[in-house]
Amino acid sequence: MAMLDVAGLDAGYGDLQILSDVDLEVEQDEYVVIVGPNGAGKSTAMKSVFGLTTYMGGAVEFNGEDITGLSPDEIIHKGIGYVPQTENVFPSLTVQENLEMGAYILDEVPEAALQDVFDQFPILRDRRDQKAGSMSGGQQQMVAMGRALMLDPDLLLLDEPSAGLAPDLVDEMFDHVDAINDAGTAVLVVEQNAKEALRRCDRGYVLVQGGNRYVDTGDALLHDEEVRQQFLGG
Amino acid sequence: MSTVDDVVTRGRSLSTEQFLLIAVGIGVVLLVGDLVLGVLDGSYSISRIGRYVTEGVLYGLIMGLAGIGLSMTYSILNFANFAHGDTITAGAFIGWGGTYLIAGWGAASLGHLALVGPQRGVGGPQLGISITSTPVAIFAGLLLAGVGTALFAVLIDRLAYKPMRGAGGIPLLITSIGVAFALRYLITFVYSSQSRGTTASVPSADLLLVDGYVSLDAHDGTLIAAAVVLMLGVHLMLQRTKLGKAMRAMSDNKDLALVTGIPTERVIRWTWMIGGGLAGSAGYLMVLWTGTIDWQFGWLLLLLIFAAVILGGIGSIYGAIVGGLVIGISMHMSMIWLPGGDFTTITAFLMMILVLLIRPSGLFGGKTTA
Repeated sequence: MAMLDVAGLDAGYGDLQILSDVDLEVEQDEYVVIVGPNGAGKSTAMKSVFGLTTYMGGAVEFNGEDITGLSPDEIIHKGIGYVPQTENVFPSLTVQENLEMGAYILDEVPEAALQDVFDQFPILRDRRDQKAGSMSGGQQQMVAMGRALMLDPDLLLLDEPSAGLAPDLVDEMFDHVDAINDAGTAVLVVEQNAKEALRRCDRGYVLVQGGNRYVDTGDALLHDEEVRQQFLGG
Repeated sequence: MSTVDDVVTRGRSLSTEQFLLIAVGIGVVLLVGDLVLGVLDGSYSISRIGRYVTEGVLYGLIMGLAGIGLSMTYSILNFANFAHGDTITAGAFIGWGGTYLIAGWGAASLGHLALVGPQRGVGGPQLGISITSTPVAIFAGLLLAGVGTALFAVLIDRLAYKPMRGAGGIPLLITSIGVAFALRYLITFVYSSQSRGTTASVPSADLLLVDGYVSLDAHDGTLIAAAVVLMLGVHLMLQRTKLGKAMRAMSDNKDLALVTGIPTERVIRWTWMIGGGLAGSAGYLMVLWTGTIDWQFGWLLLLLIFAAVILGGIGSIYGAIVGGLVIGISMHMSMIWLPGGDFTTITAFLMMILVLLIRPSGLFGGKTTA
């Protein structure tokens, strides 16, 4: 039984159905990516795990527990963290305050977790009193990831962490994701940068038009002729 | 073609802007020049100006205090709350009912006291209510105004706004106009539409200022002390406490606050409590300061508070405080040239328009801090 087990999920927004019969699994400590063309429902699939879409059928289980219909703060309690793609920091709060917000559901700010985040992203320690809104896109992405790591989640959901970053920062961002995964957190990443993501992940899903198309290890997908032709630009 | 048009349009708007700036500049230079000359040749006494500034500051503190709540609900719930003025009135009545009960225990029937003396007869002056003679009744009344209005604001939120959460700013604004009417006439129904005096006179100190005196009485002092303490309290709450940080986070980005695990409904409830509590306190202090209470003073104050909050940059509590002071001081200062009374309202809105022409987002706009 996988840690995250999505089976036959139908979901969308309001009356508009985006996903039909989507299956997703993430094992403990696994690094899974979702790739696919624009509008395939990649982000929607991730948001559905976090309870941000309209549920229309199927199952979403985490550690064997049904989490459909739970609110985001309840899902956070179960051990899932989520980093949205854009506008993912509180601009008028300082870096440290942003991180503290990540641990809002706890009574006290967990000092050990804060230090772990600072160790993971040393630049945040140096800039802890800077307003997050005044930082560069790459640094804001670190703040956003750091905030989601404050509760030491079992599973981290990352929605296009490399989007909008300068090319030389994209690699750095992937390295951070690797490091988070190595430290024992399972990650589920939606990526536009499919080749790089598949190269680094354990397993990949190719989503097309709101449904599963291919599932395999990253390497296998990278070398699959069809996948290469259709989704990786040859 | 289109680039030529662009250049022409840009040039036009630039010249309009510059024209406005020049006009404002000339106006400011003329007024300041007149003021300096008038002071030098003795036609405007310095103490008179001092009195206007003092009164302006006191009035500004009330507007600033009341404006904080308006600004908070704007930044966190995204709507302009037109019922805020009547919340101020309601808070004043709730608090003064408490003050009357304590100060006038036994002097009149309980109902009469709790309803702030609806008929002519026993009122504040006869009961001898003032900060010096009945300080306990005043402090208890202020506390009751704050706490009572905080709870009242949450109740209104439950009944009127909560069912419409997420409906957008305009439907909520229209709802709040309805709430304002309902509140105002509920106040008239419960407390009557009779305007009445609430306080006895208190000792005052005449401070010498060059060529005359500026007098400050004990109620002025109470107003200053209470307003400053409350404002400082809000500032510390927003900057230091977990709740305050969550409020600022929500005012930055509600969706992100939700996915971060911040219990947004609880934060909204606290926003109403704090904003409502400050509105009630401001209403109580306004009545203490003016010595009269009536059913629509909050409503009449509301447009000025809007001017203050918008001038300061809506959404920022510091903008509300500074905006209140700017409006209060300029309104009273303008009495040098205007006959006073309602004419000063013109000054308030002129100031607002001028500031918005130069800084469209308001003085503190763009750096919202709940």
